[in-house]
Amino acid sequence: MTAAPSRLDRPYDPADLSSQSFWSGTAADREHVFAELRRHRPVSWHPPVESTLFDDPDDRGFWAVVRHADLVEVTKRHEDFLSGEGIVFDSMPKELLDAGQGFIALDPPRHTKIRRLLASAFTPRQVARINDRIVANARRVVDGIAEKGEADFVAEVAALVPLHNVCDMVGVPEEHRLTILHEAELVGGWRDAEVMHGQEPLPRLLQATVTMLGIAMELTAQRRADPQDDLLTALVQAEVDGERLTDAEIASFFNLLMIAGTDTTRQSTSHGMKALTDFPDQRDWLTGDLPARMPSAVEEVVRWATPIMTFRRTAAHDCELGGQQVTAGDKVVMFYASANWDTEVFSHPERLDLSRSPNPHVSFGGGGIHHCLGNQLARRQLAATFTELLTRLPDIGVVGEPTYSSGTFFHGVNAMTVRFTPEGR
Amino acid sequence: MRIRHDEARCASLGSCEAVAPTLFAVGADGVLTLLDPSPDEGQRALVQEAVAACPTGALSLAD
Repeated sequence: MTAAPSRLDRPYDPADLSSQSFWSGTAADREHVFAELRRHRPVSWHPPVESTLFDDPDDRGFWAVVRHADLVEVTKRHEDFLSGEGIVFDSMPKELLDAGQGFIALDPPRHTKIRRLLASAFTPRQVARINDRIVANARRVVDGIAEKGEADFVAEVAALVPLHNVCDMVGVPEEHRLTILHEAELVGGWRDAEVMHGQEPLPRLLQATVTMLGIAMELTAQRRADPQDDLLTALVQAEVDGERLTDAEIASFFNLLMIAGTDTTRQSTSHGMKALTDFPDQRDWLTGDLPARMPSAVEEVVRWATPIMTFRRTAAHDCELGGQQVTAGDKVVMFYASANWDTEVFSHPERLDLSRSPNPHVSFGGGGIHHCLGNQLARRQLAATFTELLTRLPDIGVVGEPTYSSGTFFHGVNAMTVRFTPEGR
Repeated sequence: MRIRHDEARCASLGSCEAVAPTLFAVGADGVLTLLDPSPDEGQRALVQEAVAACPTGALSLAD
């Protein structure tokens, strides 16, 4: 018996998942490649993703996990596939990862303890309690465009509802919110010239971490002096293994909450609005009984959007995955849009079906210990936003083509014009 | 009927609590407590629904 080839001499799969052009293309183009891999080579080895940000000479490549069942398996085998080595597909300098990944890039037992500090604020029961606030934020945002007749949906609606909700929960005052929105956007958007406004990615990203750190430290000092009923106070007062969290940890967790809280639901809301424009029959079905049909519609919008396209794990030891021999230290990358388009699980995944049931999409994760903490918040926000829009601006629709962002992490929409009959006319 | 709770899998998401608030509670400390680890037979359907609702597969029925 011969040993399986190691990272150094393992042949690369011919399918391209690594080039800048693959990640600058459309989701539909990527799906062609994923479909071939799902059918023929479900766990395959690829060269490192092309990057202008950071060149890691030790990076030999990654295993691509594209089937729904395999993604779920990797997610659940958290002892075999670790998060603590980093959870983003792109190679990045350690200082950037440390600043932004927070507890999502921890493994048990510390992950469990940190996550519990925040968990009670995000349960269905607790999020139901703040639903009035979520609805009020959706109303306030729609108020902002209702009389205009035309708007950039991304900047004026999709980005703002989640921003206000997560900032309300964490305890971020109004004056910092737009700064946070723009800095957080760079994390997933650094490959995109439009998002970066022509600025060099690495220095700009480092500058963003400094700006976010400044806000986190200012608010942390305020909470130490004057505790409030918010998540930042919970972090400031928390003790884990008998010790307070360090300022750097609090800042990192703060950044994670801001990035995960703002940039995900923004994408789902934008893709959802586009889908409601492109599938008028589905929209008619939904508006036929908005309250009753919204829950399944939200699930399908989240599947359709797949706001986060990739997460990475690292093999803790030599083990098998989907018939392949994985070596300790190998990167393993999960492709969520591919799993959400897996015809073994979803019939006609290319069709928006707002009544789809069951809908075991993996947009919130494949069911492991890192399952999206904010899933209930996201669902409530999408329901509130689309209820508000479809009730008050019933003819709202996308005009022209949105601009999509380049990147490997968020399935981003940069800008998308909507038109509608202004409210009250 | 006995409910088994795998703490290593539990992410304190509270999906079980949303289905069956008389049986499960996520405390302010983020820890899930089984309010009644051995519910009576009449609640089997409810327990099964709560077990199925767990996204991380942390709950199961022992008998």
